[in-house]
Amino acid sequence: MARIGVDVGGTFTDLILETDGDASDGGGRVFVHKVPSTPEDQSRGVIQGVLEICAEAGVAPGAIEQIVHGTTIATNTVIEYSGAEVGMLTTRGFRDILHMARHKRPHNFSVQFDVPWQSRPLVKRRNRVPITERILPPGGSVETALDEDEVRAAAELFKARGVDAIIVCFLFAFLNDAHEQRAKEIVREVIPDAYVSCSSEVVDVIREYERFSTAAMNAFIGPRTTFYLNNLATALKENGVDAQIRVMQSNGGVTTLTGAAERPVTILMSGPAGGVIGGQWAGDMSGVRNLITVDIGGTSADISVVPGGEVRIMNPRDTQVGGYPILAPMIDLATIGAGGGSIAYVDEGGAFRVGPRSAGADPGPACYGRGGTEPTVTDAQVVLGRLDPEQFLGGGLEIDPARSRKALEDNLCGPLGMSLEEAALGVIRVINSNMSLAIRANSVAKGVDPRDYALVAFGGAGPLHGVALAHSVFAREVIVPPAPGINAATGLLATDMRYEFTRSVLCVLTQASQDEIDGLNAETDALVQRARDALRADGVAPEHQRVVRVAECRYQGQGFELRGTMPDGPLTLDNRAELLASFHERHRQDYGHAFEDQEVEVITLRVVASAGIGALSWPDSEAGSGRNPEDALLYRRATTFDDGRSYETPRFDRSALKAGQHIDGPAIVIQTDSTTIVPPGYEATVAQSGNLHVREVAAS
Amino acid sequence: MTAKPIDVDPITLQVIGGALHTIAKEMGHVLYRMSYSSIIRESEDLGAGLFDRNFNTLCESDSTPMHIGSIPAYLRGIDETLHDPWQPGDIVIHNHPYYGASHSPDIAAVAPVFYDGELVGYSANTAHHVDIGAATPGLIIDVPDVFAEGMLFKGVKLYEGGTLNRALWQFIETNTRVPSQVMGDIEAQVASVELGVKRFVELIDQHGKDVVFTATEQLMDYSERMLRRQIAAIPDGEYRAEGFLDDDGRNRKEPLPVKVAVRIEGDSAEVDLTGSSPQVPTAFNVPFEGSTKVACFFAFRALLLDTATISEHVPQNEGSFRPIKVTAPKGTIFNPEYPASAEARFNQIQRVVDCIAKALAPVIPEKVTAGSSADVSAIAYSGVRPDGQYWVFIEVNEGACGGRPSSDGPDTIEELMRNTRNNPIEDLGMHLPLLCDRYELRDDVMPGAGRHRGGIGVIKVQRYLTPGFLTHEADRHDDPPWGFRGGTAGRGGRLIKYNIADPDRIEDLPAKLHGLRNQAGDCIGFLGPCGGGYGDPLERPAEQVREDVLDDFCTREHAREAYGVVLTEALELDAAATEARRAEMAKQAA
Repeated sequence: MARIGVDVGGTFTDLILETDGDASDGGGRVFVHKVPSTPEDQSRGVIQGVLEICAEAGVAPGAIEQIVHGTTIATNTVIEYSGAEVGMLTTRGFRDILHMARHKRPHNFSVQFDVPWQSRPLVKRRNRVPITERILPPGGSVETALDEDEVRAAAELFKARGVDAIIVCFLFAFLNDAHEQRAKEIVREVIPDAYVSCSSEVVDVIREYERFSTAAMNAFIGPRTTFYLNNLATALKENGVDAQIRVMQSNGGVTTLTGAAERPVTILMSGPAGGVIGGQWAGDMSGVRNLITVDIGGTSADISVVPGGEVRIMNPRDTQVGGYPILAPMIDLATIGAGGGSIAYVDEGGAFRVGPRSAGADPGPACYGRGGTEPTVTDAQVVLGRLDPEQFLGGGLEIDPARSRKALEDNLCGPLGMSLEEAALGVIRVINSNMSLAIRANSVAKGVDPRDYALVAFGGAGPLHGVALAHSVFAREVIVPPAPGINAATGLLATDMRYEFTRSVLCVLTQASQDEIDGLNAETDALVQRARDALRADGVAPEHQRVVRVAECRYQGQGFELRGTMPDGPLTLDNRAELLASFHERHRQDYGHAFEDQEVEVITLRVVASAGIGALSWPDSEAGSGRNPEDALLYRRATTFDDGRSYETPRFDRSALKAGQHIDGPAIVIQTDSTTIVPPGYEATVAQSGNLHVREVAAS
Repeated sequence: MTAKPIDVDPITLQVIGGALHTIAKEMGHVLYRMSYSSIIRESEDLGAGLFDRNFNTLCESDSTPMHIGSIPAYLRGIDETLHDPWQPGDIVIHNHPYYGASHSPDIAAVAPVFYDGELVGYSANTAHHVDIGAATPGLIIDVPDVFAEGMLFKGVKLYEGGTLNRALWQFIETNTRVPSQVMGDIEAQVASVELGVKRFVELIDQHGKDVVFTATEQLMDYSERMLRRQIAAIPDGEYRAEGFLDDDGRNRKEPLPVKVAVRIEGDSAEVDLTGSSPQVPTAFNVPFEGSTKVACFFAFRALLLDTATISEHVPQNEGSFRPIKVTAPKGTIFNPEYPASAEARFNQIQRVVDCIAKALAPVIPEKVTAGSSADVSAIAYSGVRPDGQYWVFIEVNEGACGGRPSSDGPDTIEELMRNTRNNPIEDLGMHLPLLCDRYELRDDVMPGAGRHRGGIGVIKVQRYLTPGFLTHEADRHDDPPWGFRGGTAGRGGRLIKYNIADPDRIEDLPAKLHGLRNQAGDCIGFLGPCGGGYGDPLERPAEQVREDVLDDFCTREHAREAYGVVLTEALELDAAATEARRAEMAKQAA
C-alpha cells in the first residue's frame, strides 16, 4: 500500500510517493517525481504524474490508498475570472454592498487605477435582487418580515436566466439567520438542484461586505472546483487508482473532496500552504521548532514564520485573493515578487531594480535562449558560477551562459558603469535585500526574534539564497530539506485533516455575567459538536480528534481582533483570566503594547478540529563520517561568493552524501532540482533525516 | 543633517530605500491596528514616517494621501514653538493650524531621534481624532475663530525625557467628549513613534550615519528626478481652470470661486491660486502650509507618477515636492489670516486638485480623468447615551470618479486626496443608536455620459434611534463635475432629511450643516455627486450601453437620450433605430 502527494504549480506538477512499512522490510520507501503541468486541465498532468511515479516505484495504481492534492484550480478561477454566473438575494436598500466594498481604492497616488470588484464583479448587478426583509441589531429581532413572494419571483428569474449558483446575503444574518434559511428553502422549492448557500453558512461572522464577498466567492468558484475534483476522482478511477482523495486547504490542513466542493473558499491558498507545512515537517525531522520557511520559485517567494512548531494563521482582516476579501483561515504567509526569473534593470530615474517584473517560465531567463534578453536573478547566478550549465534540472535543460553575460553587460554594466561581476553581485544583493525585508516584516515586526529561528530554504531557488538571507536576518542556521524542489508536495503527506467553524458573539468578557459565560460555552460547544461531526463523517474516531478553541478578542472599541486561547474545560468567571492573559500577551507580541486595565470584548468564537493522517517518514540517510567526502565530489570550478571573491569551489552530489558528513565552505551541493550554496566561513552537515544544515563556523 | 560627502552605490541605495519603506509601513500598521476610533482604525485617516533634522520626509506610510506630505510643516511649527530643547525620550503633540498643522483634529505625535547624543531626525505620525472639544461634537462649520476648534497644542511635550506629563494627559481626557477613544488613539500614536525611533537607530547602526544620510539625500534626488522628467514632457505655458464652491456654511448661496493657474516652465511647475475667494468667516478655510501645499504636491504625483500605470515604486519623500511651487495670497480661503478658523478644509483642496487636472487636461489628456466628485462628505453623528456619556461617530461618505481615457470612472469610491475605508453597517449597528436604512448606488440621477461614463455617487441613509446632533461638512451641490472631450457633466450632490414615520415628506438641506438637532426616527440621506463623462457618448459601443441598462447603471431613457441607443421593451438592441438616432444626434452636435 502507498500514498501520494501531488502539488500542481504553474510550471510543474510535483509528486511524492511513500510506501508503507519499515525500511528494513523493504517498505517505507519514498519516491519523488516531476511532470509538466497541464494548465488547460490540471487533472491530465496529475494522472500522468501519478501513473509515472507508480511505475517508478513499482507500485500498482490500485495499491494507492490515499492521494493528497494541492491544487490551484480555485485560485486560477479567480485570476482568470472564469467562475460561475451567480445570483444573489440581498436586503432591500443594500443591493450594492459587493460593488462598493469598503470604498477604499487600491492605490493612493493614482487616478487610472482598476477596481477589481467593480470591473470584474463576482455577482453582476443584474443578478443582485433586493428582497424586502429586515433584522435589527443588536438583538436580532425582526423589524420587517421576509417577503416570500419576492424571494420566489427572484428564484424564478434566476431559473429563467440559468444561473449556476445562488447566494442569500441578508444584513445582520449573523444575529439571526431565519430569513436567510427560509429564503434558501424557497429557492430550493423553485430550483431543487441549485448550488445555493447562505452568507451565514459560508462564514458566520459580523461585517457585511466581507461575509457577502466570501459567500459570493464560494459560489463563484464552487461549480468549477466541484467539477474539477469530481472529474479528477473519476479519471483516477478509470486509470485504476481507487484511492481516498484529500485536498490541501489554505489553513494547512486537508479536507475531503466533499468538504472542498462545499467550501472551495478554504482551498484558495492550497499550494503555498503545502510549502509551509513541508518546511514545518523538515524542521520537525531535525527537532527544530522555531522556523522561518522561505519558498523561492521562478517569479515569487513565499515567506512564513512558524513559531514553536505551530503554523500561524493570518488575521482575518488580511485574508484576500485577487483583491476580494475572503474570510477563510489561511496560513500567515507573505508573497513577494522575487524569484529566479525576477528581472534586473535600471529605471528611468537611474535606480537599480530587481523584480517584481519576472521573465517567468516563458521566455524565462536569458540563458534559456528562448528569447529573453533582460538579465534575471538566475542569469546573475550563472555569471557568478553558482549554477553550472550542465546541472539545470539534472541536465534536462540546456542553457547558455554567454547569453546571461550579454544580458547583464547590455542592460546593467553599461548604464551603471559596473564590471560584470559587480553587476551580478548587485542583482543578488538587491533581491536578497527585498526578501530579507519581507522576512523582517513578518518576524521582527510581529515580535519574533529571528536569532532563535532556523530558516528552512526550499523551492527551486531557495537553497541558493538561504544562507545569505539567514545571515541578513540573523537566523541561527539554514535547513535544506531532502527534496527542496518538491517540498510543497512533501507537505501534503505531512499534514492533518482540519476543519474550522466560527460564530460571532460580541460579548464584553471583562464584564460578563454568569449567563453570558454560559452563552459563550453553549456557542463553543455547538461549534465543537459541528467540528467533531465533520471529522466523524470522514471516518475519524473520537479518540483521534484534536479540538482547539479560540476566542478572537479586541479591546472594547478597537476594530481588529487577535486570537486568545480558551482555557481547558468550560469558561468560568474565574478562569476567564487565562483567556484574557493570552489575549494581552498576543497584543503585546504583535503591537509592542498591551492595555491590561481595559475592557476586552470577544467578537468571534472559532473551533479548529484536526486529526492526524499519518506523517510522512523520510528514510534515514545511510550513516557516514568525515569531511568533504571524495566519493561525493563531482568537480571543482571557479565560483564568486557574496564577499566578491572567487574561489575554486568543489561541487558535491547530494545523493552521495551520508549522514554525519560535513562539508566546508566554499562549496556547492547539487541535486536534481536544486542547488545549495555553502559560502566561505560556513559548514554544511548532513543530518540523519536527510536534511542539510548550514551554519556559520564559529570564529576561533 | 549634513552627511560627509561619500558615494553610496546604487545597490546600497536600494537596500536603504527598501528598509525605509518597510519602517514607515510598520509604523502605520501599528497605529491603525491598535487604535480605537473608527476614523483611524477603519478609515485609516493617518500618516506616519521618518524625517531628517531639516524636516525632510525620508519615508511615509501609504495610508491617506492627505496626511502624506503634511508632517514637515508640523515639524517646522514645532521647531518655532518648542518650549525646551529636544531630549531623548520626548514625545511632542502638536495641532495648531497656524503653525503647520493640516487642521486641528489631525494631532501629530513627534519623537526626536538621537544618535551618539546628536539629534539626527524625527519619528512622527498624524491621526485624525474624533473629538478635540470643539464647539460642536466631531466637526464644525459655523464658528467664529480658531479657538472654537477645541484644544490647540503648540510644541507641547506629552512625554519629557521618557516621563509622561500626567497633568497634560488629564487635561486632554477632560476636554474631549469621547475620552476612551481619544486617549486610546494617542496611546497608539505613541507606540508607533516609539517604534519609528527604534527602527531609525537600528538602520543607522547597520549602515553608518554618513551612509544613511547620503543615501536619503540620493533617494530624494531620485524621486525629484522622476517627477521632473514628467513635468518636462508637458509643454511650457500657463494653464487655467476654475470652479466654485457652494458657500461658506453661513452665507447661504453665496458661491466661492476657486481659480487655479498652473505654470509649467521646463521641469518645474507653479500652482497659483490667486483670484480664489477671500477667506470666509466660518471654519471653511484651508491652512496653507499643512493642507493647500500638500494638495498641490499630491496632484502632480498622482497625475504624473500614477502608481497604477508605472511599475516602479517611487519613494514617498521630500524629492517629489521640490519641483512644485505653490502661491496663494494671504487673506484668501487657501491662505487665511489668524485667527480665522480653518478646520473644514477638505472640499476646497479636493477642488484644487480637480482644477489642476482640468487645467492640464488639454495637454495631458491621457493622464487625467473627467471631473470627479472632488469633494468630501464628512458627517459627525453624535448624541448623549442614557448614562450621560457622549457618543460621536464621524462618517466619511464616498465620492465618484470622472470617466477616464480607457475606462469608466469607478462608482462610489474614495477619490483624489482621500482614501478611507467605510465602517461596516453591522459593526456600527451593534454599538451606536444609529441604523443604516439604505446604502447603494444613487438612482435618482444618471452620471456624466461619455465614451467612458462618470462614476455613480452613493446614497446612504442613517436613522437616529435616539435624539442627537449632526454636523455635515460637504460641498458640490451646485457646481457639477465637468465632462471632457465631448463627455457630459456629472451631477451635484444632495442632502435630505425625513422621518421614518413619514418617509415621503422629504426636506432638501444645504451641504453644510452645523449642530442640527434630530429626533428619534429622523433619517439623514446623503446623495453623492456623480462624475463627468470622458469622450463622445456616441462612441460608446451600443452593446456596452445595453449591458449598463441590464445592470441598471443606466436607464432605457438615458440610453436613448444621452447615448442614442434604442432598446426594445425586452431590452434588446434595436440596431436600425440606434443607427438612425446616433446619426441624427451627431448631425445636431456638428
